[in-house]
Amino acid sequence: MILLTTLARVADGLPLAASIQEDEQFERDLQQFQSQAKQLFRKLNAQSPDRCTLEAGNFNFHYLIQEGVCYLCLCEASFPKKMAFAYLDDLHSKFFDQYGRKVPTVTRPYSFIEQLYPKNKEDVCRRRARRNMGSINTELQDVQRIMVANIMRSSLDTKASNLSSLANKYHSDAKYLNTRSTYAKLAAAAVVLLTLIIYVRFWWL
Amino acid sequence: AQPYSGYGYPSMEAPTSAPSTNTSPDTSNSEASQLGAGEEPAAPRPLEAPEPNLSPELKKVNCSPETFRCTLTSIPQTQALLNKARLPLGLLLHPFRDLQVRLPVITSNTIVRCRTCRTYINPFVTFLDQRRWKCNLCYRVNDVPDEFMYNPVTRSYGEPHRRPEVQNSTVEFIASSDYMLRPPQPAVYLFVLDVSHNAVESGYLKYFCDSLLENLDKLPGNGRCRVGFLTFDSTIHFYNLQNGLSQPQMLVVSDIHDVFIPSHDNLMVNLKESKELVKELLAALPSMFAHTRESQSALGPALQAAFKLMTPTGGRVSVFQTQLPTLGAGLLQSREDPNQRSSTKAVQHLGPATDFYKKLALDCSGQQIGVDLFLLSSQYSDLSSLACMSKFSAGSVFYYPSFHHVHNPAQLEKFQRDLERYLTRKIGFEAVMRIRCTKGLSIHTFHGNLFVRSTDMLSLANVNPDSAFAVQMSIEDSLADSSLACFQAALLYTSSKGKRRIRVHTLCLPVVTQLSEVYAGADVQAITCLLANMAIDRSVSSGLPDARDALVNAVVDLVGAYRTSVSNLQQNGLVLPSAMRLFPLYILALLKQKALRTGTSTRLDERVFAMCQFKTEPLPQLMRLMHPDLYRLDTISDQGALHLNDVIVPQPQLLHLSSERLSRDGTFLLDCGSVLFVWVGRACSDVFLRDVLGVHDYASLPPSMVSPHTLGPLLDTPLSERIRAFLDWLQENRAFSCPLHVIRDDASAKATFFQHLVEDSSESGPSYYDFLQQILLQECR
Repeated sequence: MILLTTLARVADGLPLAASIQEDEQFERDLQQFQSQAKQLFRKLNAQSPDRCTLEAGNFNFHYLIQEGVCYLCLCEASFPKKMAFAYLDDLHSKFFDQYGRKVPTVTRPYSFIEQLYPKNKEDVCRRRARRNMGSINTELQDVQRIMVANIMRSSLDTKASNLSSLANKYHSDAKYLNTRSTYAKLAAAAVVLLTLIIYVRFWWL
Repeated sequence: AQPYSGYGYPSMEAPTSAPSTNTSPDTSNSEASQLGAGEEPAAPRPLEAPEPNLSPELKKVNCSPETFRCTLTSIPQTQALLNKARLPLGLLLHPFRDLQVRLPVITSNTIVRCRTCRTYINPFVTFLDQRRWKCNLCYRVNDVPDEFMYNPVTRSYGEPHRRPEVQNSTVEFIASSDYMLRPPQPAVYLFVLDVSHNAVESGYLKYFCDSLLENLDKLPGNGRCRVGFLTFDSTIHFYNLQNGLSQPQMLVVSDIHDVFIPSHDNLMVNLKESKELVKELLAALPSMFAHTRESQSALGPALQAAFKLMTPTGGRVSVFQTQLPTLGAGLLQSREDPNQRSSTKAVQHLGPATDFYKKLALDCSGQQIGVDLFLLSSQYSDLSSLACMSKFSAGSVFYYPSFHHVHNPAQLEKFQRDLERYLTRKIGFEAVMRIRCTKGLSIHTFHGNLFVRSTDMLSLANVNPDSAFAVQMSIEDSLADSSLACFQAALLYTSSKGKRRIRVHTLCLPVVTQLSEVYAGADVQAITCLLANMAIDRSVSSGLPDARDALVNAVVDLVGAYRTSVSNLQQNGLVLPSAMRLFPLYILALLKQKALRTGTSTRLDERVFAMCQFKTEPLPQLMRLMHPDLYRLDTISDQGALHLNDVIVPQPQLLHLSSERLSRDGTFLLDCGSVLFVWVGRACSDVFLRDVLGVHDYASLPPSMVSPHTLGPLLDTPLSERIRAFLDWLQENRAFSCPLHVIRDDASAKATFFQHLVEDSSESGPSYYDFLQQILLQECR
């Protein structure tokens, strides 16, 4: 079952429309998923793959990017990927024909929520997706283009950047330690020399 | 100080704060008033809110007192000084009220806020130079963002202090998606209707359905608006209004101990799509239950069902109840003892009998569901327990005692008018409010229908333009850092059209170090209303006599504190700061008000409702509730009249609330805020009877009647026109229009009129003069 659908503009992550499946079961987790969706939108750019599935525990985010708009849906892990992407394709054709032109011009969040979801229901989209099941089999090769990535990828990114900064830090720390040890060595040598001179002075004179 | 007019009414304008015009440090003639001395009744004028002692530029941009009002317009610098003054420090706010002037809406993408305390930029910040601004609440220096340097209104660059956010103390920001936890919810309205035998007897259902049918298109919302209906008696009935059905389908759930929702998608429907079905249902409802024999009422289970229906989206639930809930969870017993109604001892059962309704309200608040209650009952219905469903979910309570569609036309009239306002007024959803103040001040107690989620975050499932709130403050640290103290209330809400907005109000007041200045800036009406809120809390926690004593002590303490501070005043008698000269009168009026009075028979539900009103009504309404305005109508003239839009609106003088001011040959109007009483004297002139009331003689006037707007028929006589203009003017800025209740002198209903004359001695308290003597005696001890 599709729990959440959000449309956003890729360029700046501005949300365009959203719909939530009403179900008491998922109410609590939905807020967490919505903030994850928001974070995802912020990370998207021109280099992001245009079809992607991200795993988040027992649920999957599937998204589709077409013509500057990202269509994201959240489903249970058991929900078939093909159906999810068929639904997103359907959504794209339904949305873009009518409103695609206006997308670059809007500034307010959720500007299209009324046009797209007057009833807050998705039955129509889901039914159409089921009808299109047959045509999906011919697009089997698309499956190869879908890259499965773990949602932990985002934390990986931050870890990587952390790593480089840490490496820099170690580098500078090592340099500092090196200079300190050189000074220490010099100081020790000076002390030995001094002791030697004094020893020579008192003993041999 | 010279002896002032005997009853302490202001004579021309109320004197403004003295220190700026006086050279002598203390006790000028206009500062102190002596009460109870002479008897020179100067004509009272309507009391205006005191103006804070600020420079004219600051005064111009300061927040309107109708939105934001402080008990002391000159804030004492230290807690010690505040304690010396013996006055409470608090704010009364009305953040979502209907604004008469245009509201500046800021459309820019960045909302400029202080980095530490998150205060919104406001007219009282200081700009250190073009690129830096200093917060007036925490004194942190912030950078001005580039975007802010451009002013879209004047199309100029480089003048950030001219931007609308800095020129207006009441602004509205359009919130970005950072301010949204979830996509903005649509407007969702659920109506929960009692259809037991008692409800059918009272006859409210037909009037509700008619009113809703009439106002269906005016319900705030857009294409996403949804509605649903639930009716209940001993079982719960749901209605499938799915578009496409030939007629509405009723689904009955009889297991009230384990409530479930029979169908998931069709019970809350899109209003636009299912409009015809909704209209059909509303037309059929009154007759559907016309012959019901069900006498039980399962309100608790119905509310549980409502909660389940509304949980996914949030929204507003309107509950219509006509009796005690007798079945299922949350059932209540009759607790009132009719013999104790006039008791002078503690009144029992002011608090809830069960925490079922409070728990439900808290759950609702968490899901952004506001619950409003309309109680239309003729018997005791334990309003103190039922009102909890609205108290914590930011809802409103409406009460119609002895409601009956035939026997009580006054209540029916009121119900219809209230419904019209209720269904069509603005509404905000999933709201939170934060009140911030200058460093050193802290807020500790909140009054009103809201849920305090954390120390300064108030959760309001719904906001409406007729609810007000009050807070109490204390001075934690000395306010020596600045000469100005500022307060900001920010209300984040979703409009009925699904737009997320932030309404910000900022108030600025001077900080003073002298006790005389504190007294000069006291706002007697705000102080009385805050004390009323505190007394109501006290009466629930430690009993009514305790609360009443505390109120009297407030006056005694003030008199004592003023006398010790103004020690070179050798006057006998009661001396008060001139700004507080009406304080004893207002406290007496409060003691005689339904909420707190003893000695007069008061029904428990009516008392509890009066208490609810004190907690939620805005200040002008509260003042009229406590101390109504009395005018004489038959001698109305054009002297001092206002000329508004080619209409002459007479301004009759306000009279003291004493029967000495009434005369048998006159007709008098009493404005009580939610109802207008017109008392017709026995010897009223025939001219008036004929020209205004449209009757030949006194006897042909019905003893008690309720008219819609006008007093009598629409006659063409100049007197009738004047009176109509005056009554329209009174009703103009009022949210809920008031019915007019005409009472003859010999009618039994005249007791309702006379109980409001607070200066007279009665069973609920002494006369004003006796009260002043009592205060003096207590103070001297």
